[in-house]
Amino acid sequence: MGNTGFEKKITLLRPNDIKPTFFKKIAAMGIKDMITFKNVNKWFGKHHVLKEINLNVEPGEVLVVCGPSGSGKSTLLRCINRLESLQSGEIIIDGIKVHGRETNITKLRAEIGFVFQQFNLYPHMTAIENITIAPIKVRKLKKEVARKLGQEILDKVGLGDKAGSYPSQLSGGQQQRVAIARGLCMQPKIMLFDEPTSSLDPEMINEVLDVIRNLANEGMTMIVVTHEMGFAREAANRVAFIDEGRLVEIAPPEKFFKNPKNERTRLFLSKILAR
Amino acid sequence: MLQAFNFRIILEYMPLYSQCFMATLWLSAVSLIGALLIGTAACAMRIGHYRPLARIAVIYIESIRSTPLLAQLYLVYFGLPSLGIRMSEEMTGILVLTLNSGAYMAEIIRGGIQSIPSGHIEAGIASGLNYFQRMRYIILPPALGATLPAMLGQAIVLVKDSALLSLISIMELTRAGQILTSERFMPVEGFLTTAAFYLLIYYILKSLTSWSQKRLIFREIH
Ligand SMILES: Nc1ncnc2c1ncn2[C@@H]1O[C@H](COP(=O)(O)OP(=O)(O)OP(=O)(O)O)[C@@H](O)[C@H]1O
Ligand SMILES: [Mg+2]
Repeated sequence: MGNTGFEKKITLLRPNDIKPTFFKKIAAMGIKDMITFKNVNKWFGKHHVLKEINLNVEPGEVLVVCGPSGSGKSTLLRCINRLESLQSGEIIIDGIKVHGRETNITKLRAEIGFVFQQFNLYPHMTAIENITIAPIKVRKLKKEVARKLGQEILDKVGLGDKAGSYPSQLSGGQQQRVAIARGLCMQPKIMLFDEPTSSLDPEMINEVLDVIRNLANEGMTMIVVTHEMGFAREAANRVAFIDEGRLVEIAPPEKFFKNPKNERTRLFLSKILAR
Repeated sequence: MLQAFNFRIILEYMPLYSQCFMATLWLSAVSLIGALLIGTAACAMRIGHYRPLARIAVIYIESIRSTPLLAQLYLVYFGLPSLGIRMSEEMTGILVLTLNSGAYMAEIIRGGIQSIPSGHIEAGIASGLNYFQRMRYIILPPALGATLPAMLGQAIVLVKDSALLSLISIMELTRAGQILTSERFMPVEGFLTTAAFYLLIYYILKSLTSWSQKRLIFREIH
């Protein structure tokens, strides 16, 4: 334990860590991991989708995950808040076993914001209703308190004037920012993003990535599945590559991009960076 | 033709018509409410995870939808007394219409619920909403909004089907037309008046639907 803790300190003291989150991370160092995967295996029927995944994400860390289509990235994220079951191994969030029988999963899910590729905003609710429904019903916040919080968060993602708009009245980029606000409004410990910009027109990608980047700077613990390698370079603490259900490579961005150990990572990167 | 059309006879029979109009109205209304309740229950059973209940719901829905309403009506009307169960004609009529429409309503509601993209439901799950909260706030409002036109259609079918109750000598709109026809031999006057009253019910239902549709969609949610 002492040994690994020391190693973590070393890895954390990389130059690109010296940003506002630096002190937060120092403070967090004594604390155990936020997300831990221990020998996780997941099957869909006979299809082995996640193979012996071992992974740990520290408080305040930003992990970017990439990999070919069908490699299991979404499944990996969905296991973290138990949208999927596991067949063996375990996932531990802040000391709690996600798939444990006695785990209060609803309570745990409230701590984990999840942002989908397809936004998945509730079409019959305005932006503010979309983001305050869970705080009111799950966190039991008073409606006025939730509205005030929701408005603050909408301001933060640059949509303060869209509180009363329905999803159909918003652009894709705006909808995705509302979806992020919906996650944030629960004041979660962790945010998970599943290809948050993949269904956006190119000119809207940056407005969404900027919001995620700001969250990173504030010290939010995040796993971001994305193929936006520019974003990975500047915002990630580590980048992971998944192929056919295996965690093939995981390294800080400079190492991951300059000097990938694995041949498959190299191949993947050459394809994706050539686009 | 118009000269031959006897308005006076219609006025003369107006008390009978308004009595029968009210009867059609309340028989249909009670059956509609019953059908919505049974339809919701059958749908919940069908999409629920408990197999035996789902099986029962499927058998109910399929056997109703694959047999003629008239056969169902006669089965209950003549069948129950032979089993020793006695019911008024009105009760029999309401029971049959409710069970019949309930099966169609169940399928309409199921269609509405299944029209909600699974991603919206997953978003609800991911934010910690429980099953009932998801039903109440995320699934049912848009599902009901989407199914209102189909429900209106089914309600209209129900009102029209209530004409069959004239066959078990319930006094309702179609029966009024039959009475005028047989007493005065004026089928055109008799059944045009009957039709006009059905049309009136149709317009009532239609305006009720568009009113509630607006409410469902643009209502404050919580
Ligand atoms: N509910 C399911 N039932 C059966 N198989 C599934 C299910 N969900 C995913 N799979 C399979 O599991 C594998 C991994 O899927 P997953 O969605 O995690 O991939 P991904 O890396 O997110 O791909 P993409 O980049 O296309 O989103 C795929 O082969 C997929 O077909
Ligand atoms: Mg995916």
